[in-house]
Amino acid sequence: MAGLGTGRAVLFVVPALALIAAFLVFPALWTLYLGVLKYDLAGSNAAAPQFVGLGNYTDALTDPRFANSVLLTLAFVGLSAVLGQNGLGFLLAATLRRAVGWVRMLVNGLVLLSWILPGTVVVFLWQALLDRNGGTLNALLDTPGAAWTLDHPLATIVVFNIWRGTAFSMLLYSAALDAVPTSHLETARLYGSGPLRTFRDVVLPRIRGHILTNTLLITLWTFNDFTPYMLTGGGPEHRSETLPVYVYRMSIEGGQLGFGSAISLIMLVINLVIALFYLRLLRRRGG
Amino acid sequence: MSEPQRVDPGNRAVRRILGDAVVRHALSRIGLYVFAGVMLVFFALPLLWLVLTPFSRTPAYQITAPSFTLHNFRVLLDNPFALRSIGNSLILAGGTAVLAVVFAGTAAYALSRVRLPGRDALLYAILLLSSIVTGTAAMVPIFLMLFQLNMIDNRLALVLVLTGGLLPSAMFILKDFMDSVPKSYEESARVFGASPLQILRHVVAPVVRPGLATIAVWAIVQVWGNFLLPYILLHDQNKQPAAVIMYTFYDEGGTPNFALISTFSLLYSVPVVVAYLIVNRRYGFRFQGGIKG
Amino acid sequence: MATIELAALEKTYPGGVRAVDGLSLTIGDGEFFALLGPSGCGKTTLLRTIAGLEEATGGSLSIGEREVTRLAPGQRDVAMVFQDYALFPHMTVLDNIAYPLRIKRVARAARHEKARQTGDGLELAELMARRPAELSGGQQQRVALARAVVAHPSAFLFDEPLSNLDARLRLSARTFLKRLQRELGVTTIFVTHDQAEALAMADRIAVMEAGRIRQVGTPREVFGRPANTFVANFIGSTPMNLLPATVTDHRLLLAAGSLPAPSGLGARREVTVGIRPEYLDFSATAVPDALSGTVGIVEHLGTSSLVTLETDGGPIGVVVPEEAEPAAGSTGWAVPRPGRVLLYDNETGDLLPT
Repeated sequence: MAGLGTGRAVLFVVPALALIAAFLVFPALWTLYLGVLKYDLAGSNAAAPQFVGLGNYTDALTDPRFANSVLLTLAFVGLSAVLGQNGLGFLLAATLRRAVGWVRMLVNGLVLLSWILPGTVVVFLWQALLDRNGGTLNALLDTPGAAWTLDHPLATIVVFNIWRGTAFSMLLYSAALDAVPTSHLETARLYGSGPLRTFRDVVLPRIRGHILTNTLLITLWTFNDFTPYMLTGGGPEHRSETLPVYVYRMSIEGGQLGFGSAISLIMLVINLVIALFYLRLLRRRGG
Repeated sequence: MSEPQRVDPGNRAVRRILGDAVVRHALSRIGLYVFAGVMLVFFALPLLWLVLTPFSRTPAYQITAPSFTLHNFRVLLDNPFALRSIGNSLILAGGTAVLAVVFAGTAAYALSRVRLPGRDALLYAILLLSSIVTGTAAMVPIFLMLFQLNMIDNRLALVLVLTGGLLPSAMFILKDFMDSVPKSYEESARVFGASPLQILRHVVAPVVRPGLATIAVWAIVQVWGNFLLPYILLHDQNKQPAAVIMYTFYDEGGTPNFALISTFSLLYSVPVVVAYLIVNRRYGFRFQGGIKG
Repeated sequence: MATIELAALEKTYPGGVRAVDGLSLTIGDGEFFALLGPSGCGKTTLLRTIAGLEEATGGSLSIGEREVTRLAPGQRDVAMVFQDYALFPHMTVLDNIAYPLRIKRVARAARHEKARQTGDGLELAELMARRPAELSGGQQQRVALARAVVAHPSAFLFDEPLSNLDARLRLSARTFLKRLQRELGVTTIFVTHDQAEALAMADRIAVMEAGRIRQVGTPREVFGRPANTFVANFIGSTPMNLLPATVTDHRLLLAAGSLPAPSGLGARREVTVGIRPEYLDFSATAVPDALSGTVGIVEHLGTSSLVTLETDGGPIGVVVPEEAEPAAGSTGWAVPRPGRVLLYDNETGDLLPT
């Protein structure tokens, strides 16, 4: 067709589809299979994995550590992404546009920097910030010896993730607010509507789609974020062990591949639900 | 409601309203800059260490008043793993970017130009797949697959894994770019006798170059910062990229080598900042919904 | 240089839409030929089928002595200028013009030399280093033409070559294009929806509707004697008056009056009378063999005006010289010039021989 020819078109598509099949489709399907096995990296169950049916799933559901991990993940996602990044991102986008140029540029630049720096680096920066002896935070607050990561592990990763990821929400809301037609705002002003009313009646309806998009995306990313492991290692006593960290510690560190797969599958299903939601939204807006 | 003095009531009301507006305006200005100040401190505070410690004579967790030295960079250059890991990161990021651009580019071009039944559904399906099968959710099967294929410590395998994860979004974004190229460009070249590959090289690729550059930079930034996949798939310290090698910069007692870590962090961070600035400058910040996924 | 021959050429889309419905046509060597019709009539599809961008589903096509129906576009030895010019935005004017030669593997220096010569001929010498985005619409068009000329094809295909220019530029481009075609003497087919453009430029015009050709002829023929009511309606900047009439012995009876009937129409029958407003003379006093009505709207066309006479049988347009412009509300008579009254069959819409 159209000059390319079906044969060549197929040739063009095949490499991409092959990689996607090998490293996205196959792992997803394999997880399904591995999840019903008792399969360990070492020991007797390494050579001859044993079929255990839904055993891994019942094990997981009765494991208090799993329940703890689910609750922690919920709190982590809810506090740091849905509330934190979303709210702070919007606030920054909405207010900074009214600040003078250099203030806006400076704050924007710093927010972006915390987003684009490599994860390993920012994790170390936060360790330096929170260190109980030499940490900058303790020096500033005059609380020598306060062990933030040990005493407040959840709060630590929540604040860290807000710091790390707010840039995306800020950028998205900035773009969304830029797209609100000035004529609409002026019309509202002509009718004497105050800032809050204008926001509710004019701005909110126009950016509602963006709010939903943003919330779903950052939820998906935060849910799959492995950085908490780098900051707190899941500890102390599993108090910051979100699902990705739990999977890692059980399967890669602990070698329980079958069990880890079962948890992974649960994660995949949660991802699927969020993503389906998001795609339906995209499609509706696209056409 | 008595009126004690003979003041023009309209005038007074106007003045009150005006006064309120001025006060409200001033308050909102003050609020705005207090908020901006708090944000400035919140976002800048962790970054201070990165800027100051590499040049400090006594590098530690503690930020010290500047006592300028370049000695720490000497430590960095002397470390056998530090520079090599940057090289490894370059190999991984560069390899992934090239594969992602070539494969996503050709696939997006074909999908944009040939009408296959169910094409859009296919694109949505793989996009969906890529947001579901994240590195964290798929680490077990991917680790196990490469483990059984005896490909742990194989950098090409890691590049392929990384490419596979980036391709769906890359294809999706590039197809938009390809769709925006007028068909008449290609038809014009065809009438002059250009072959499909010539059309791709002479006409399509140059026209969508901003898109290809976007994907390349995006892929580089993604891989450059990726920790989990190289962490579980590369165990040989000689092959580990910068993201992973930092965890070896501790002495036996678990104390970080501050001179090394601070300078290394700076070296490792500069390329992404530069890449971001270049993209921002050349193409503006094109907001792409899935740019970080 | 070549004749182009279409024999029962057909293009049917997978959905069953017949965009080109069995066309046979011969376009002479060096002819400037227009494909004219409303949008969706298949004229662009026909042009693209000739170029090879669409595959013919039936019939055959030859260019010169060669049968090219199944050849790839690059092997047909034609050059096409697209509606949007399709200039490559990343190449300079020079590289754009030289592109066909690059495909033919002409060495860089030689093809640049050739492109420069061609560009000079089209007044592009000063613009060679620019990119298309830095050119005006007219300049872009000339670059597209130069790129076609440099390929030295046996035929040019132009798709709506003037539609991207503003109205004033279009007139001068018309003259320019016609002169260029005369000088090069290359067989040229161009597609347009603008009847004035086709009349002004073409040696012959094919008027198309729904994948078929309704009339082929010189501009004079299609304007003066449209072969059917479709062509009559489509050609002319002011629409032709089409009025119902009854033929009796030697008379045409219309609601607005009666006219002498041409002989040989036979007995009593219903027909449609077609008279161009340009072929009607206006009279403020009663005259025989005329159509009468009340002067309604008067539209100024420059040196003349289009006067609408409101008659019992509907409005009739008359072109009146500016000095003879009547007052609105007065009564007027429209007198057809001799030999300019056309009769169309009510059933088929075809011109009746007179």
